[in-house]
Amino acid sequence: MKKRTLQRGLGVFWWLTLVFLYLPLVVVMVFSFNSANSAAHFTGISLRWYRRLLGNEEILSAFANSMVLAITSSVIALVIGCLIGYGMYRHRHRKLGWLIVLIYLPIVLPDIVFGISEMTFFVQIHRLTGILQPGIETMIIAHVTFQIPFVALIVYSRFVGLDPSLFEAAKDLYASPWQRALHFMLPTIKPALLSAFFLSFTLSIDDFVISFFTAGPESATLPIYIWGAIKKGVSPEINAIATLMIGAVAIAAVLSLIFSYRRQR
Amino acid sequence: MAETSMALRSRALVAESRHLLFTVAPGAIWIFVFLVLPSAYLMGVAFMTTGPYGLPEMPLSLDSFRRLAGFGFLGWSPGNLYTLLRSLWQTLVSTALVVVIAYPIAYYITTCREKWRPIMLLVVVVPSWTNQVIRTFGWMNLLAPGTPLAGLAESVGLINPNMGLYPSNFAVTLGLVYNFLPFMVLPLYAAFEKLDTAQVQAAQDLYASPVRAFWHAVFPQTLPGLLAGTVLVAIPAFGMYVIPELLGGGKGMMLGNLVANQFAGSANWPLGAAGAILMLIATFIGLFAMRRVGKRLGGGEEVVI
Repeated sequence: MKKRTLQRGLGVFWWLTLVFLYLPLVVVMVFSFNSANSAAHFTGISLRWYRRLLGNEEILSAFANSMVLAITSSVIALVIGCLIGYGMYRHRHRKLGWLIVLIYLPIVLPDIVFGISEMTFFVQIHRLTGILQPGIETMIIAHVTFQIPFVALIVYSRFVGLDPSLFEAAKDLYASPWQRALHFMLPTIKPALLSAFFLSFTLSIDDFVISFFTAGPESATLPIYIWGAIKKGVSPEINAIATLMIGAVAIAAVLSLIFSYRRQR
Repeated sequence: MAETSMALRSRALVAESRHLLFTVAPGAIWIFVFLVLPSAYLMGVAFMTTGPYGLPEMPLSLDSFRRLAGFGFLGWSPGNLYTLLRSLWQTLVSTALVVVIAYPIAYYITTCREKWRPIMLLVVVVPSWTNQVIRTFGWMNLLAPGTPLAGLAESVGLINPNMGLYPSNFAVTLGLVYNFLPFMVLPLYAAFEKLDTAQVQAAQDLYASPVRAFWHAVFPQTLPGLLAGTVLVAIPAFGMYVIPELLGGGKGMMLGNLVANQFAGSANWPLGAAGAILMLIATFIGLFAMRRVGKRLGGGEEVVI
């Protein structure tokens, strides 16, 4: 009897927490359809803020920048991180403490310190040599730097989970290391590569602080644009872009759910 | 004979080393050049003198640390000290609140049917996939003047009429709790899922009161998860920039804002770099302390993030 009351209380608490978690997102979504220019009063449904988005050059270029940044950095990080992950596995019996420290560094560094380090470094390099002007290139470099560890750790843990005798079998089957890589390793770690790419992409899209400090005047991404718009004074257009971005996340969530249920079966 | 085998072995060693070089070097060099060197440079900047436009100059000095401690041209002012104390306080309060909310939630998920659990976890995590700026913007909408929440606070007498609930320290705490809740639920859930129920059963068989059974049979088993969650919450909370910037205003500033401001607007790179060093020290003390405690509890592996 007592146990049941506890369980019911926890259930209520669970739903309250969900309200807490989703309320800010729901408010943004609801007010993106508001016909009035107000964050406090909902006067009627309209799509005027979405129509405004389509005509806004700045937003469209910010969207393009976000995509170019996320895709390019994820591809580079996938290649480099995959190599490290495999190297860590093959040579796991050696003392690689320095490598572990190096790989965990981007993860534990507070992102404000991360962003400012990169920014001061790029500014000084640019002053001395003229290369690496703050812009999309410096942002890509910074994003790859924080994506590499995640790719490496995902790939490494996939290799650790494999039966070591598989590697022996592959050695007998294929003569050259390249053939082994192409026909055995890449196919076996394909799921890990996919989830590493997906994670890198999400990390890039989700990042604000590091992008903010490494960006140039022409390379604003969507979060940077939204930040600027909030600082200038709240406009309902922000609700509309934010709603589209929340929608993208919702689609990703559903996809990952389907993916995980499929894998279970 | 022995010679050839030696030669073979050394050749194999060379091949292995070359393999290590080819696989590990690109990433290691990348992180070294684009993160270790920049951070080392930033550390160095903290010990330089502030030149025109706030850029660092020679000679070396400890001036920036003196400035960080509050000593300026006009004597000592407590502003920076308040900012530091506020960062510590906000970290402490928000981490505690996150624990209080996440603990029952993580437990509740483990009591539900197995097929629902992945969905429940996903539902908790999904809000944190949306961009931090957007999430914080959502709270700005909720706490602005004229909204139901602000109206409620006004009628209770918490705030003056026509004021919003932000900018305020309360709004920053709320934003932090909101932001970091999933990071605590996940490791706690993992701990609850592995919970050895035989211990709880034993406690009940020995007529332990529910409270005693909880403290002696359940709580110790969830400590590793709690510690991992604390690392994931407290360290980034201490260095938070976005939330205090949007929800805190001038009187809600935290260390992250103090540091960031020195690289924009009123620039003073050495002062900002000194603040960054402080943040790094706090981070590494936090990590080290958690590892020590984690090792003593014997559940060390979860604590290593």
